[in-house]
Amino acid sequence: MRPLQSKILIVDDESSIRRALHATLGTLGFDIEEASGGEEAVSFVRTQRYDAALLDINMPGMGGIEACRAIRRLSPRLPIVMLTVRDNEDDKIEALDAGADDYVTKPFHVGELMARVRAAVRRSQATQDDREVAITIGDIELDAGRRLVRKSGDIVHLTPKEFDLLRCLMSQAGKPLTHARLLSSVWGSEYGNECEYLRTYVRQLRKKLENNPSNPEYILTDSFIGYRFRDAIEKSLGR
Amino acid sequence: MEISGKRKTMLRLVAGAGGGPAAALLISYCAFRLHFNLSTAGSIDLLVVVLTALRFGFWEATGSSLVAIACLDYFFTLPIFSFHISDPQNWVALTSFELTALIVSRLSVQVQSHMRQAVLQRSNTEKLYALSRGVLWLNRQEPPGPQIAHLIKKDIGVDAVAIFDSALVRLDKAGTCTKEDEELARNTYFRNTNFDDAELHKWQRVLRLESSPIGAIVLTGIDLTPLIVDSIASLTATALERARSFDKESRAEAARQTEQLRTTVLDGLAHAFKTPLTVILTCTSGLLEMKTLSPSEAQLVELIDQHSTQLNAAATHLLRMAKLEAAEIRLRREQVAIPQLIDEILDECSGQLCGHSVRVRVTNEDLAVSGDRQLIAMTITELVVNAAKYSSADSPITVSAERQDSHVVISVHNNGPVIVFEDRELIFERFYRSSATRHRASGSGIGLSIAKKTAEAHQGNIWVKSGKETGTTFFLAIPVIVRSEHAPIAK
Repeated sequence: MRPLQSKILIVDDESSIRRALHATLGTLGFDIEEASGGEEAVSFVRTQRYDAALLDINMPGMGGIEACRAIRRLSPRLPIVMLTVRDNEDDKIEALDAGADDYVTKPFHVGELMARVRAAVRRSQATQDDREVAITIGDIELDAGRRLVRKSGDIVHLTPKEFDLLRCLMSQAGKPLTHARLLSSVWGSEYGNECEYLRTYVRQLRKKLENNPSNPEYILTDSFIGYRFRDAIEKSLGR
Repeated sequence: MEISGKRKTMLRLVAGAGGGPAAALLISYCAFRLHFNLSTAGSIDLLVVVLTALRFGFWEATGSSLVAIACLDYFFTLPIFSFHISDPQNWVALTSFELTALIVSRLSVQVQSHMRQAVLQRSNTEKLYALSRGVLWLNRQEPPGPQIAHLIKKDIGVDAVAIFDSALVRLDKAGTCTKEDEELARNTYFRNTNFDDAELHKWQRVLRLESSPIGAIVLTGIDLTPLIVDSIASLTATALERARSFDKESRAEAARQTEQLRTTVLDGLAHAFKTPLTVILTCTSGLLEMKTLSPSEAQLVELIDQHSTQLNAAATHLLRMAKLEAAEIRLRREQVAIPQLIDEILDECSGQLCGHSVRVRVTNEDLAVSGDRQLIAMTITELVVNAAKYSSADSPITVSAERQDSHVVISVHNNGPVIVFEDRELIFERFYRSSATRHRASGSGIGLSIAKKTAEAHQGNIWVKSGKETGTTFFLAIPVIVRSEHAPIAK
């Protein structure tokens, strides 16, 4: 993927933020389009093709989460990265549930933002088959067909639930997955609130996979949101 | 008034005891003089007995009937002018006269007493109705006690009312209430017993709401039935409770509005800080990403970038603290595994530890509490970051967690300066900053007050120990929960 071809839609009600993003991302080789609100963004997505959308959560009129839902309906594969402010974990979870691929907390560094956008774009371009067959990220190798996991070539023994959880995380590497989402896709929807189960399993997975379980480099915690597996290319997302 | 009432009763007694028999005697004598026969005279005497019963009562009527019998025997049965009866038929006549007189007077007395009770009942009902109507119209701006006391005095007509309200620990009175009555109201509540003194016309009732006592009432001055006293007591209890819940509701509404206003103001402030910071950092980091700056330009931009990041961290912290500080803390309880939480926190705040090495000592990997994960995490973070801030960079920080009885105690230790004894309570107060450290490190003076609020909201505790040799240790104790029933799901 050549960055020059990437066309990004920036949606924020603050013109100064749009301007700053336009100037920096534009110089860094992205093709930029601006929208000042949710309605405008939805109408743009309806008529044009974008490689990614940056969507502010707090906007007057149609807010970011509602816009995210509407855009998702129009364009199921468009990578959407939400721009949020801190201390609004519920908003972030709601945005991820509404179909957002990722979120970045304001204020952010442009490097981090670009890494997130690129990762989201890569995920959306990967076909279903790519994800199903075998995934290798860093030292970790997951073979979904044979239900095998290797670390630096050595087989790691996982319980069936641990394997399912790892596959769920690795198949969407780089994307934050909420507690509820992970619980319901691994254990079933009735376990949506049992965060402690999830933490127990994440702990076990880290013990088996991480070089230093208390300072994990693969299974990363998004505080109060959920977990994400390290993105395949960006070694660190600069959090 | 009382004396004239007593005289009336006496007069009534004398009239009843003397009047009835005298009338019977007189009428019998007149009948004799008019040459009536036994049955006619008997009928007239019976009438006198019934009238006596209606006017005075059963015993007075009985007295009259006995006198009438004697007269009938004396004047009308043979031999006359003698109490001797020769004809057995006359025995039968006189006996049946006496029995009839007794039964009729008994019945008429009963009818009359029922009537009197009905009248009394009606008047009581009317009084209670007036009272309950008054209670519905209490002035919400004024305390309810004095208003209710006044209403009871006015509507029921008692001489004195004393109401003790246990929730407010206040005594309200109306009428000629003595110190003794006030004391009696308090004692009635504390002894939790009702008592009626019908002779002194003193009525004591514990005010209850669904069997739990909320106060007491003492009424004096008039004759009441236990039933009406009970009704007055339950009306009073309901009225007090109603006023209380109304008060609570309006206070909750006011608090909600304040809360809403605060959230709006703080959200506005957050926006006002974050927007310019976002623009600045986007520009600086963008410039750095472009890699087109000369080394000295890049250095300057990095400086702006660094300090804006710091400014952002400070603003974020301050806003978060302000939001929590004023709000009532509401817990979102869940099971929180403490050792893992400590790991996560240290991972999260590694950037703020200024190069300190952190040791973790956990006695048991299964330590868990029932609490608000986010708030507990924030509290521990605050303690860890403070420990780093207030000690020299090369000294280690130790975070420990252990079970002590029914609590999990988390402690954070550093070798920072001693916190003087006077400050050890004060540092948990809002905006207090120890004079020893005020200039050493930045801080809002809010963090520890929120830590304290969090501990209290969990029914836990937070405290500090500090000494020259031992260093400084902050302790956070949170009540534990048993987690054995909640084994992880089957694999």
